[in-house]
Amino acid sequence: MNGWLLAAAVVLALGVAPALWGATTGPLRRRVVAQNVAALLVCLVMLLLAQGYARPSYIDLGLVLAVLGPAGTLVYARLLAAELAADPPTARVTRAMTVLSAAAPPLVVLPLCVATGPGRSLVKLLLIGALLTAGNTISGRAVSGTTSLPREAHDG
Amino acid sequence: MSRKARLWLLAVGGIGVAVLLACAAFDLPGFGGTSHPYGERAVRSALARHTANVISSVNFDQRAFDTLGEESILFAAVLGTVVLLRETRDEHSEPPETVRVDPHVRRYALIALPVTLLIGLYIIAHGQLSPGGGFQGGVIVATALHLLYIAIDYKALERIRPAAAYAIADAAGEAAYVLLGTAGLLAGSVFLANFLPYGTFNTLSSGGTVPLLNAAIGVEVAGATVVLLARFLDQALEIEGGGTGGTGRQDEEANRS
Amino acid sequence: MADLLVVLALTLVVAAATAAVLTRDPARQALVLALLGLALAVLFTALQSPDVALSQLAVGSALTPLMLLLTVRKVRGRGHRGGRKRGRA
Repeated sequence: MNGWLLAAAVVLALGVAPALWGATTGPLRRRVVAQNVAALLVCLVMLLLAQGYARPSYIDLGLVLAVLGPAGTLVYARLLAAELAADPPTARVTRAMTVLSAAAPPLVVLPLCVATGPGRSLVKLLLIGALLTAGNTISGRAVSGTTSLPREAHDG
Repeated sequence: MSRKARLWLLAVGGIGVAVLLACAAFDLPGFGGTSHPYGERAVRSALARHTANVISSVNFDQRAFDTLGEESILFAAVLGTVVLLRETRDEHSEPPETVRVDPHVRRYALIALPVTLLIGLYIIAHGQLSPGGGFQGGVIVATALHLLYIAIDYKALERIRPAAAYAIADAAGEAAYVLLGTAGLLAGSVFLANFLPYGTFNTLSSGGTVPLLNAAIGVEVAGATVVLLARFLDQALEIEGGGTGGTGRQDEEANRS
Repeated sequence: MADLLVVLALTLVVAAATAAVLTRDPARQALVLALLGLALAVLFTALQSPDVALSQLAVGSALTPLMLLLTVRKVRGRGHRGGRKRGRA
């Protein structure tokens, strides 16, 4: 077991496990936020595992999750919009989520970039980092109700 | 049957399964052992056919016939959904009203859509080299298109999604797989034989028929998923048996955990 | 020690699956299922089967939730039969 795998285990135990708790209990707003955080963290875990197992091709898992994770959260933001608008996440949670989406990817991706060295994998890693940061910031924003209430959901 | 009898039946069945499972589990080779008779043979024959991703070699070359079965299951399932979720005589469809979406989300979706589409195509094209292939890539392509509904507008999705065209793509993908199999038969050996030159190991053109079969599956899965979601979207948003939405007001089934 | 990741991922899978069964509301269940999918993907990767993990991620992260929530919307809409004609319910 090397440092990368240990880091992945730490993220799983201290990040994904609490997120699972958050997604299974409490009000809907907390659950959607927890799902968003979990997708972000699991994407980072995938990158760490790819490096830890020395399998550059595993990076594709992170690449896919970097675009599909935010898409998943946007699904909830769109179809549960009425419920979320009635009880949106607090401003503090939203801010914490934005900070996490902006800070966590570079924190993991930059060391990985240094370890990888120049090449195709480096470009891929940077792309994943950028997609993940942008996607999770936006999906977090969508959950926190800055989106206007869909009128479809109004007339039921 | 009375409640008590049913519980007894459940208990007997449950214990039976538990006993069989325990017997089977104790007879398994140890976790993470060194003896992998099937794995070694699969890897050897994948490398002999210049396919870097052994899983793709198993799925689309060594056991390509199984994949034909799986593909047909998806095809049949989507066909069933289309029949079941059609608009019946006592229903009518009404176009859903437009939804205003946060401009930031909209802008993100406009950028993310082509990127996701490209990633999907990349996963399909690299099936013979790295994890992934036609199925995974096809689903990603279909999901990418639905970003239009999720983050932009249902009407925008409808504009690029003539469902009939995707149904044809679904059928064409399925047909292409069978035709490629028949080509193997005609080329002199057996159905779904890998009759093309194997190419240079670890390049895009390696693996013989593997990339072509992957492409066929990719087209089929993308088409099938789009058609499937089209029926779901029709039912949820357009077809009126009262389907005008209004989530969340009826949460009597409050959550237990 | 080398199996720590497998054990961690398995624990997450078991916890998420149990939670998914115990959650009654389908919309909330879809959220738990999304996390179950993520945990399964980690488990598959830790067991060195990235192809399966990729299938799980492709299907589980956006497609399944979309289908589930659309179904929930349709089924709940049934309670509002004719709601549109009567104005807002």
